[in-house]
Amino acid sequence: MIGSGLANEIRAIPGGENLEMCYSCGTCTSKCMVQQKLEPEYNPRRLLRMVMMEMREESFANPTTWLCSSCDLCYPACPQQIHISGVITAVKKVAVQNNQHTPLHTAVVDQQTCVACGLCAEVCPYDAITIEVRKLPYRGSIPVAVVDPGLCMACGACGAACRSNSIGIPAEYSDEEVVENIWNWLNPEGALS
Amino acid sequence: MVDAARQPLVEVKTFTEVEKVEGFVGNFKVTLREKSKYVRADRCNGCGACAKVCPIEVPNYFEMNLAPRKAAYIPMSQSVPLIYNIDIDACIHCYKCVEACGPLEAIDFSMQDKIVEEEIGAIIVATGFSHFDPTPMEEYGYNRYPNVITSMEMERLNNSAGPTAGSLIRPSDGKKPQRLAFINCVGSRDKRFVESCSNFCCMYSIKNAVLAKQMNPDADITIYYMDIRTPSKGYEEFYNRARSMGIHFIQGRPAMITEDPESHNLFIHTEDIALGKVVEHEYDLVMLNQAAVPQPDQNHMSSVLNVAQSPGGWYMEYHPKLRPMDSPTDGIFFAGACQGPKDIPSSVAQGSAAAARASRVLHSDSWQIEPTIANVWSDRCVSAQGKACGICERSCPYGAIDYTQGLAAEVITAKCHGCGACVGECPHDAITQLHYTDAQILAQIRTLLADQPEKKILALRCHWCSYGGADLAGTSHFEYTSNERGIKVMCSARMDADFIYEAYRLGAGAVLYSGCHPQDCHYITGQVIGAKRAKRLETIFERMNMSPGRFRVEWISAAEGDKYARVLNEMQATLDAIPPEDLHAEIERMRPEMAKRLSRLPNIPGVQRAMEHTEVVVNTILSREKASV
Repeated sequence: MIGSGLANEIRAIPGGENLEMCYSCGTCTSKCMVQQKLEPEYNPRRLLRMVMMEMREESFANPTTWLCSSCDLCYPACPQQIHISGVITAVKKVAVQNNQHTPLHTAVVDQQTCVACGLCAEVCPYDAITIEVRKLPYRGSIPVAVVDPGLCMACGACGAACRSNSIGIPAEYSDEEVVENIWNWLNPEGALS
Repeated sequence: MVDAARQPLVEVKTFTEVEKVEGFVGNFKVTLREKSKYVRADRCNGCGACAKVCPIEVPNYFEMNLAPRKAAYIPMSQSVPLIYNIDIDACIHCYKCVEACGPLEAIDFSMQDKIVEEEIGAIIVATGFSHFDPTPMEEYGYNRYPNVITSMEMERLNNSAGPTAGSLIRPSDGKKPQRLAFINCVGSRDKRFVESCSNFCCMYSIKNAVLAKQMNPDADITIYYMDIRTPSKGYEEFYNRARSMGIHFIQGRPAMITEDPESHNLFIHTEDIALGKVVEHEYDLVMLNQAAVPQPDQNHMSSVLNVAQSPGGWYMEYHPKLRPMDSPTDGIFFAGACQGPKDIPSSVAQGSAAAARASRVLHSDSWQIEPTIANVWSDRCVSAQGKACGICERSCPYGAIDYTQGLAAEVITAKCHGCGACVGECPHDAITQLHYTDAQILAQIRTLLADQPEKKILALRCHWCSYGGADLAGTSHFEYTSNERGIKVMCSARMDADFIYEAYRLGAGAVLYSGCHPQDCHYITGQVIGAKRAKRLETIFERMNMSPGRFRVEWISAAEGDKYARVLNEMQATLDAIPPEDLHAEIERMRPEMAKRLSRLPNIPGVQRAMEHTEVVVNTILSREKASV
């Protein structure tokens, strides 16, 4: 495994430069909200270690790679001042380049209705949305919103901002599902319908 | 301390500040401010009657402010000399102490600070260190949670002469804690606060844990650590003893401490690295092992003593391995943690070494200095003509140059270490260095480049490092180009721009500017000055469109003989790659500019005569070459 150059790839990406400064103190892990509330296996310290030890497949499969929300609680606590979420984002980028997919349902654009107003790109906290020219059936070459699944964290801010209902999170957090859920909670017996 | 005070030849001056240090090795003139204690040392017998009647109580600094002291006090019970002191800021002038003192009449409110001047041969600085205040680390809640204390506070609580007579209690309710935690590296090894390791805290926390365990064997004691560093003799054994006593060690840096507001119990959140899991444990008392930091007035003392500071703020030693007890200024020595965090055995060893070093000064009638000291030609110094300059003073790593506008700069010979930085920096060529005068070095350059200069590589090397590197290349039989011509100076700071201009004026093929690595300089900051000049020269030659590689700057240590050989071979390859006619044209193009920059050279005393002599040598070389052809 050693020598495949994952660590070098990560170092070359902005945010990944300080990778080797980690001395495994564990502050980031014990500070992390994702670790505490969501996923006990989530461990940024271990991911950094995996990258340093060139454990390519393992680090792509690790939930830490995909679940970091870049809240940066760990960054000010890190005694080595490593921008940990930057490193994780860098790992994610390399993983996406290697055809790995996030287990999350990332935002999807309906390119037939998108008007390229740019509202979604503006609200996206992860800079995952860009406006690009695409050749589309019936619409010709026209600018539309494009989501980078490697950066998208499936927060749904774009879906809430979109005025033409052209972007959003599919499956259990789609607008229809959420409205359905609200309706069911408000009206458990079916009395209002 | 008691022993020292009893020695007839030792004078202990407490409560005294060093205000000014002038002079040089063997002849320091030190101005001291003996602060007024308002108690006469010749009359006080240390009975303490004044403290008994004093109605004022203020926090006791020695007890980490955990206990009060009176306004009439001694700093600690073992104080030497045992003379009471009136804290005049806290005193309300009730004069009860004067009454209590009675016929001794030791208390005198009319006392004033005394300024004393002393003739001192050698100075040993042993000002110690201070502690990092963990209040800014909000995650640990020091000063917010009553049961989070520092280990210095724990030290006082644990001490049988301390405020609790040796019983370790919780500040919140005075109960005996059963679950104790120590957190190491608080503030240290942390780029946000103190980057360095504080050296002794691992052993210190283990010692405190062992003490606490001995006092209360049922206590549950845990040490949180990132790495345990126990490198000295007997330390690892002590660590093992702590483990065998049942003290827990958890590897992991706690991210935060939370508190139960009712019981004031504390919860430490950390990742247990060995388990790979985030854990949360409850404790009654948490001790923070803070980083060691320089004394708050270390910057001030550093300017008073005129000694430099290392990046962390500690006093800088002459050489980190070979002369850790010497300051760069002759006659000033360091002992203990003022030079860097140190445990007791190392401090004692350094103190003894410093005392031995100082006695060398005291027992010699004369002092040997470097033979290569600098001298100012006062008639050439522009300051003597009233102009503002001071470049030499700023460049001197030892503060050996006295500069006052209007007077010629003056080198304090006893302080000069002979690096030649001032000589290289002086824009008016008003300073010279013994044995490395401009005339001598220019003569060497002319002689070495007498024949076929365009094929030669002139290598300027510093005495301590790159010259050693070249030497090692030779003794190790590393082959490198025979076209190299080396010149030794004491430091890269001495490599005057004129030397390089002269080399190119004569048509040198290439010039190597080499010195030590930045942190290795034998003259503190000489390399920094040399590197700055090299950078300037690189820019100048770049602007003149000189072929890249004809001027090269390399930092080569005395252990890098292979690097020296490699650099020279690379330079030869670069030189070979330039077509001879192009090189010739370039040399001719640059010659007038170089000559222009050197126009003032003949005015330097001695240069004219040296050049006449060199002319003879050069002609001899050339005629011999011709004859052999």
